[in-house]
Amino acid sequence: MLNEKHADAVELSALREYELPELVSALPSLDLSSFKYVSFHAPSTMNAAFEPTTVELLEAVVGRGWQVIVHPDVIVDWELWKKLGQYLCLENMDKRKAVGQTVDQLEPLFKALPEASFCFDLGHVRQVDPTLTEAFLILRHFKNRLRQIHISDVNSDSRHAELTIEAMLAFKRLAPAIPPTIPVIIESRVSESQIESEIQLVREILDDDNRGGRRTPNLTQAISA
Amino acid sequence: MSDSPLRLLIDRLDIQVPHILQCIEESAGVEREVEGLLSRTRSQWVSLDTSLVVFGSLARGEWTPHSDLDWTYLIDGQANSDHLTIAQEIKEVLEHKYVPPNPQGAFASLVFSHELIHKIGGQDDTNRNTTQRMLLLLESVAIGNRAQEAYERVVRGVINRYLEEDPRLLTKDRTRYKVPRFLLNDIVRFWRTMAVDFASKQRDRGGKGWGLRNFKLRMSRKLLFASGLLTCFGCTLDPDAHPPEDADIDERRAYLVRYLRNQFCYTPLEVLARAAILYRIPEDASVRLLSAYDGFLEMLRNEGIREGLDVLRAEDAAKDKHFEQVRRISRDFQSALDVYFFENKELSALTKRYGVF
Repeated sequence: MLNEKHADAVELSALREYELPELVSALPSLDLSSFKYVSFHAPSTMNAAFEPTTVELLEAVVGRGWQVIVHPDVIVDWELWKKLGQYLCLENMDKRKAVGQTVDQLEPLFKALPEASFCFDLGHVRQVDPTLTEAFLILRHFKNRLRQIHISDVNSDSRHAELTIEAMLAFKRLAPAIPPTIPVIIESRVSESQIESEIQLVREILDDDNRGGRRTPNLTQAISA
Repeated sequence: MSDSPLRLLIDRLDIQVPHILQCIEESAGVEREVEGLLSRTRSQWVSLDTSLVVFGSLARGEWTPHSDLDWTYLIDGQANSDHLTIAQEIKEVLEHKYVPPNPQGAFASLVFSHELIHKIGGQDDTNRNTTQRMLLLLESVAIGNRAQEAYERVVRGVINRYLEEDPRLLTKDRTRYKVPRFLLNDIVRFWRTMAVDFASKQRDRGGKGWGLRNFKLRMSRKLLFASGLLTCFGCTLDPDAHPPEDADIDERRAYLVRYLRNQFCYTPLEVLARAAILYRIPEDASVRLLSAYDGFLEMLRNEGIREGLDVLRAEDAAKDKHFEQVRRISRDFQSALDVYFFENKELSALTKRYGVF
């Protein structure tokens, strides 16, 4: 489906705990050769008893050199997750979560996991702080850890949604601060027929030459699997 | 309080200001009490889209046993008719325990973030809206650790709105932020509005409450104005407000929003204390300022004096012994402020440039 959309990055998701073993075991059979960048989203909710098994399964993903996107609120045993090293990619959280929303909240997490990288979710950060103050602070503060971007709107129910004009205006302001080589994963919930237009909207946001003369990025986009 | 600039200044000056310290302690206690009261009687009274915000003496850390409790139920989310019910329930709980705010005033009701952020200036910016917005910045606290999100978003939203109207944020040499003129003008306007409203209330209430309101105008209201000015001046003078290098205007604005937000976390007296340290205000002026303010709070804490001032009319003030004390305290306070704003080299230059025209 994505091959026809000229996407060269993809994120595989096992957002529910029970999806993880099945997806991990299916990895050898997936043809992902057309993608320059592949990442993997770990379960966003987890029974603490399942944590060691989860990390063990994710080690197989890390072995492929893929970033593993993790919501910090699922981590209970911090030592356990250190095994994933630089491939452990922490994501900033939406306003429903008690941790990981702001620079001040993210800082101790990265201190606990010094090798971890960072997935910056633009929809989450805009929901937490519509002025984008926190977004700019996070980008500058964790620039060296940044490995990928999540982009979408987040609606009033805190669900990822298709891009709106408000979200686009906000993200265009952020675009000059995002390095052009960083892969972008689109998390908008759209029908298959809308995928192409959603990708175009993201290009419009990140290719905006009118803001600070940003050069056309080597954009890698995908629809989250 | 341990890392408060006020505590630091008090220690440096080695002075006794027992009433200031007692009010701070009691304010913290009342904040906890309000949270506990609501949690016991109205479970789940907070949400990610709403905050209970308190203003006035409680937010300034100047609570006395006779203070009224100024509050609003701040909403930053989907409109929902249940919000009114929740606000009414909060009102019922709080008014059972504390002195309610003036029913004609700006408090004890719902407030929506859109009004505060969008209606700055113009016909729709009512006296009530201006008051709520200014006090949100200058003296407010959200009650409860679980209910800070909506409050934080709105405070940042208001600050951001002020800065969006300033086309250039940096000085010509691009090394410092400029004084945010739109915000500063609104703070100046608010102070003048408070002073004008003092006269208006005097007329409306037939002189009742003149003595107490006069004292507050000379002290706590003026302190609020002074802290607002210092916060704006800090944008260009305070080393903590340095703009990031290699940033575009949006990122520079974000850093200034953060600076201002951090400053507005201080109580007004803390802002004055921090400025005393930062700008090396002579110690005798700082002593005078804090001693005068301690005297103000001491008088407010005394029920008899407070009641006497509340019934004092302007025509009787010259013969009133307590009002003579009011005059002395407020003269000391003003003379200390004069040192800040007219004698300090850095601050006086900005006072001349921005304070009048």
